Amino acid sequence: MSIRAVSLVSATVAALALLTAYPAAQAPTASSGAAAASNWVPAKTLDGQPDIQGMWINYDPTPFEVPLPTAARGGGGGGGVGPSTDFDDTAPRRVPRRRSMVVDPPSGRVPVLPWAEAKRADDLAKIQDHWVHQTPWDRCITRGGSPGGMFPGAYGNGYRIVQSRGTVAILYEMIHELRIIHVDGRPPISPKIRQWNGDSRGRWEGNTLVVNVGNYHDRGTIASNAASGRIRGIPHTADLQVVERFTIVDKDTLNYRVTITDPKVYSSPWTVEMPLIRDDSYQMFEYACHEGNRAMPNTLSAGRALEKQQK
Amino acid sequence: MRIPKQLVGAGCALAAVGLGIVLVQPTAGQAPAGYKGPRLANGKPDLNGVWQTINAANWDLEPHPGAPSPVLAFGAAGAVQPGLGVVVGNEIPYLPAARAKKEENARNWLTADPEVKCYLPGVPRATYIGHPFQILQSNDFVLIGYQYASASRSIPLRPRTEEAPVNTWMGDSVGRWDGDTLVVDSESFNDETWFDRAGNYHSDALRVTERYTPVDSNIIQYEATIEDPKVFSRPWMIRMPIYRRVEPNIQLLEFKCVEYVEELMYGHLKKR
Repeated sequence: MSIRAVSLVSATVAALALLTAYPAAQAPTASSGAAAASNWVPAKTLDGQPDIQGMWINYDPTPFEVPLPTAARGGGGGGGVGPSTDFDDTAPRRVPRRRSMVVDPPSGRVPVLPWAEAKRADDLAKIQDHWVHQTPWDRCITRGGSPGGMFPGAYGNGYRIVQSRGTVAILYEMIHELRIIHVDGRPPISPKIRQWNGDSRGRWEGNTLVVNVGNYHDRGTIASNAASGRIRGIPHTADLQVVERFTIVDKDTLNYRVTITDPKVYSSPWTVEMPLIRDDSYQMFEYACHEGNRAMPNTLSAGRALEKQQK
Repeated sequence: MRIPKQLVGAGCALAAVGLGIVLVQPTAGQAPAGYKGPRLANGKPDLNGVWQTINAANWDLEPHPGAPSPVLAFGAAGAVQPGLGVVVGNEIPYLPAARAKKEENARNWLTADPEVKCYLPGVPRATYIGHPFQILQSNDFVLIGYQYASASRSIPLRPRTEEAPVNTWMGDSVGRWDGDTLVVDSESFNDETWFDRAGNYHSDALRVTERYTPVDSNIIQYEATIEDPKVFSRPWMIRMPIYRRVEPNIQLLEFKCVEYVEELMYGHLKKR
């Protein structure tokens, strides 16, 4: 059974679930006031954390950034602001469309510096030369545990959260990324250890899990999916600092808000906000990306074939 | 099918002494009489934490001597570590044709072993591939995160409701408690993974039943029964202790080895 067919089946199931269990999706506002004001009391886990466990999805038609007046709809480069229109079988599960996922700065535009956009454009022009010009997702290394992996793509936007003693674990559907957030107060790892997805430390503030992520290296991109529009492929530096806030608003809504600070890449910090929707009927399958990565050798060998033709 | 249980060899236990792990002599597959380990609030044994095996099983499940590395440049650093074996009864019961395939695999180790390409490790190899792994328990779910290749398994604690619609590298697992033993049944594997670097392998008919039995707060006795009628003449079992990584700051780190094999796999295709 193809992934797409599986999606279609679960989309139908999920659509019904959404219609019944989520009739009035409360899209968070730019001020996040709805999330903050919620007085819903979640259950507690075995070790006393607010319980946010379950299967969450974020199929979301909201453009990543506020579109420029001239921008065409659709993912990819140019003026594209996402999301991709290619996979409409996910449409019934989508949450209400908002102005943009970027909620700060108020313009809804990511304050990316020109050199970083130029680097992205240069990389995209060279994807047939060498794998280092491709995004970590195209290389099947990671779609980004934080924050890129949480930005919805065209498919595969399932997240299973399991809480155990001292941890909140998020299993990302995309490339089977299991992210373990330590909430037991331990200090960060040595700054000598730099990772694709950094190192996460969390703490609970009421119904909000606040996660600080550091220890990134500089080989990754802030977003790798086309639905992130022009931000796809923007590099980050080892100075990247990410602060995430997961707020359980009601039984079926987990608000996600992330602030990204990387002074060499952006002129100011910027913030993305979106709801994750509970969907326990959603089936997540193994995304064994690298094991079946035909795109990589095909892309590179096509580049070599073009070179031969041009000689 | 049940396989008679035997005492484990003391070899693994002795190997662990040097690492400062407090050891009891674990009996196979069941907790020592009277052992009551730490509990979760729901009364189930608390297996949360980072764990790792100490043995040479990833080199060869069967008893084997040391051997030089097939890569000259590795010298002693990459040589085959000898091992007493982890197969109950010492020998894997291959069907005759399958035995020949195993030997062909062994001859082609460097080009054919999925580990060399950083492919997902499969089950049970993920357990003893040499990297730490973390058990994360909730009331009705167990996640196991493996450092190697960011592999993971998602194990609901309920009966299997339907056959998985696709075969996968890590299979489809469900779990249950048998007393203080976590029993994990896995099926719907593809035929791409191996059991070790010696070419031991399976088909897509593989079924694995694992038993995780805490025998001490820092030791889990681990058994995996392997059934695959296309490859083996009968079910067989591996058995080994799993040790807790007791360092207070222990955590999994990234071993995203795709990046380490790109030159090996795609280097001939990059721009010169």
